[in-house]
Amino acid sequence: MIRLEQINRSFEVGDETVHALRDVTLDLATGDYISIMGPSGSGKSTLLNILGLLDQPDSGHYFLDETDTTTLNETDQAVARRDHIGFVFQSFHLIPRLNAAQNVELPLILAGIEPGERAERVAKALELMGLSDRAKHRPDQLSGGQRQRVAIARATIMQPALLLADEPTGNLDKHSGDEVIQTLEALNQQGITLVVVTHDPEIGSRASRTIRMVDGAIVGEIPRSSPGGTTP
Amino acid sequence: MKLADAFSFGIQALTGARSRTWLMLLAMAIGVASVIILTALGEGARRYVANEFSSLGSHLIIVIPGKIETTGDSPPLIGGTARDLTLDDALALERSSAIQLIAPLALGAAPISYRQLERDITVMGSTAALMPVRNLELARGKFLPEADPTRESAITVIGDKLKKELFGNKRALGEWIRIHDRRFRVIGILKPLGESLGMDIGDIAVIPVASAQSLFNTEGLFRILVQAEGRESVPRAKQAVIDIIKKRHDNEEDITVITQDALLSTFDGIFRSLTYTVAGIASISLAVAGILIMNVMLVAVSQRTAEIGLIKAIGGKREEIMRLFLIEAGLLSAAGAAIGIIIAYSSIWVMGQLYPEFPLIIPLWSLASALGISLITGLLFGILPARRAARLDPIVALAGR
Ligand SMILES: Nc1ncnc2c1ncn2[C@@H]1O[C@H](COP(=O)(O)OP(=O)(O)OP(=O)(O)O)[C@@H](O)[C@H]1O
Ligand SMILES: [Mg+2]
Repeated sequence: MIRLEQINRSFEVGDETVHALRDVTLDLATGDYISIMGPSGSGKSTLLNILGLLDQPDSGHYFLDETDTTTLNETDQAVARRDHIGFVFQSFHLIPRLNAAQNVELPLILAGIEPGERAERVAKALELMGLSDRAKHRPDQLSGGQRQRVAIARATIMQPALLLADEPTGNLDKHSGDEVIQTLEALNQQGITLVVVTHDPEIGSRASRTIRMVDGAIVGEIPRSSPGGTTP
Repeated sequence: MKLADAFSFGIQALTGARSRTWLMLLAMAIGVASVIILTALGEGARRYVANEFSSLGSHLIIVIPGKIETTGDSPPLIGGTARDLTLDDALALERSSAIQLIAPLALGAAPISYRQLERDITVMGSTAALMPVRNLELARGKFLPEADPTRESAITVIGDKLKKELFGNKRALGEWIRIHDRRFRVIGILKPLGESLGMDIGDIAVIPVASAQSLFNTEGLFRILVQAEGRESVPRAKQAVIDIIKKRHDNEEDITVITQDALLSTFDGIFRSLTYTVAGIASISLAVAGILIMNVMLVAVSQRTAEIGLIKAIGGKREEIMRLFLIEAGLLSAAGAAIGIIIAYSSIWVMGQLYPEFPLIIPLWSLASALGISLITGLLFGILPARRAARLDPIVALAGR
């Protein structure tokens, strides 16, 4: 489903060039569950941003469902993000003035879907997250875990094939973090391709594949037969 | 993204930031209100002057002794030998077919007294024709009768203010009053008309022109008021006046003939340009409002960077974000303009209650242009912030870097 070939990405900082990604090659199958781990600054977020079409590689190719995304223009990339990719961020990124339902509804509004259908889908998504009674609450009236589940509902409302989560538990306590991970895994079980960046080895080891990054390069991969396995 | 959704998103964003929104609405409202109010005042002044002139009678020609050079940059010259305008000159004008009525006017100040009360007033010597020519109306009694203008007669018609000051609530008709050293019988009282061409007719006494000439011991007239047969015959009447007087004054054109149309169009032009100037000055406040909208929108864009980054991350296109911010700016200026129009109409209503005689009317063009300018400035100054928002790099925006 996804194929990265020889991806390079560097940033100019002053007169220095920071190589955030070096010759990254990666294949993901539909329904995969992958965690990306590595020290701070190793390029995990940069890789995720490129997977999510928020960033473009300097060189290399990124095939998403047979399409070479490096040939798409900005508008097409926005449409691809809207229809095929969901994002979950460490700091939730909910719009503070909108309530939970309105935040979840945003991607549907952008896609130009009719209000009637929108309301139905939002209600269903919130129910799935166990947040039906919080639909009218604004983010500041929700706990961290609830906020992240609203964000997950928003990320999945368009039924994307790919769900990207950058340290989704980074701002949460252990209990809420576990709930969020379980929610993501449940979505994976229904067929969504899930990529999670994390610093937490316990969370990382739950994935069926763990990719280890150092200094912008993939230095190793730990494949596992089944998700939710024990720590090696 | 549907347009209706974009609008409700904009409304949500605006109501979400109350103080910011009110600030911008206020700026826009003040700008729009000042444009409308100031043009209404200018337009009102123009109409007021026009009304004043038409209260003089619609086809009036004023003949003034002496040639006043109204063109040229030197101070007004009185050329020639400037002979007096006499009663005979005035009566000679009646020969022209273009002229319907003439009212000679002799003017002077004199003390007027009744019993112990004495006042200094303006005494106007004229004929029966003064009443139709100046559109005078009587509150009581009769005006000067049709009679030989060269004959003196001890009768007078007085203004209402003068009547009150001399007689109070007592009956004035038939009473004898003293003007200078002569006695006149009051035969009529004028209706108040307010100021008419700078003369308060409440405070005058009208007597037959021959009596005034002998009272002030002068042959000369202050003015001759001429009423043409109709509006179309005004130019012909003007020419007739010049021809007749010239012939009588040894072929010298030593009079000035003013037509009301000329006066009116001069004043009309002055007030019209005044209105435009004032409207122009007021539009500066609209531009200021536009700049304020731009500033506040720029602040909004930087405050809402994360939101913009998020919308991009979940698939918002560049032009959609641009449109969202332009709609916000447009909504602001439209709402501001609406508030401004309400403010303008209510202030004009209040002013109308306070000064009912001043004709305050909001010209449609000022309403339309105030609305148009506010929308254009709002959108124009909204473009820069909207473009800045649309061009934000989503990663940078989300990272808050
Ligand atoms: N926009 C940018 N401009 C300059 N340098 C950048 C930019 N984005 C990332 N980098 C650099 O690229 C490198 C990789 O950054 P990245 O954010 O991918 O790291 P990370 O693995 O996600 O780290 P962390 O675990 O701390 O989130 C870092 O050295 C970072 O400083
Ligand atoms: Mg990171």
